[in-house]
Amino acid sequence: MATLTLEREFTADLETVFAYVSKTEHLLKWWGPEGMTVPEHDLAFDRKGPWVSVMQNDEGQRYKVSGHVTHVDPPNSVGFTWAWHDETDTRGVESHVTIKLVPAAGGGTKFTLSHVDLPSDDVAANHEKGWTSSLRKLERLANG
Amino acid sequence: MPDLVATFAALGDKTRFAIVERLLAKGALSAGELGEVADISAPAISRHLKVLREAGIITQTVDRQRRIYEVAPHAVQAISRWTKGHEAFWTASLDRLDAALNKKD
Repeated sequence: MATLTLEREFTADLETVFAYVSKTEHLLKWWGPEGMTVPEHDLAFDRKGPWVSVMQNDEGQRYKVSGHVTHVDPPNSVGFTWAWHDETDTRGVESHVTIKLVPAAGGGTKFTLSHVDLPSDDVAANHEKGWTSSLRKLERLANG
Repeated sequence: MPDLVATFAALGDKTRFAIVERLLAKGALSAGELGEVADISAPAISRHLKVLREAGIITQTVDRQRRIYEVAPHAVQAISRWTKGHEAFWTASLDRLDAALNKKD
């Protein structure tokens, strides 16, 4: 388990920053390193449900990442799961991202992003998969 | 990320990987001393050194008649940043978010 935490302070107010981190038209302005384009996407963190983005560098290499938006609490926070896909489109180990916004002095916004790796060894990943499919079965039975 | 593609392409060769490993372990070495990493000719070693130099992984300095090679610190740092995984993505993206928010004002 590893956690990456990044903090920034922006001069823009809370609502503006929230729009930039949650709405498609704004996310596309900054999503991915410089020089990357996002030719395919379903990228919005202002609603729960699946999201996906395919980034492409200037040499045509594609990087796909996808997940599920798990919570939306405007204008304070969003949370979503995250996993890179490999060349065969197999989704890798899942991690979880939370973005939190709080007002800063002078009308600005303090931005905190934490990216938490879930247990990444194969055993844990298999356990996770096992649990997920078990819970799905349980859900189906319960709803049946 | 495009720079790293070149870095990994250059490292994706047994001899070149061995050269970089040796330089990381020993510090600065001459082409002659690096010849020991593989049973190949001096011109072949020198070709590998050229590829590594062009990819920015090693640097070359001349000490009297000898060419001395060393690993470029920024290349190692770039690889280390990349292996930290998500950090590279978010750091680069958040710089752009900052820029996008400022442009808006």
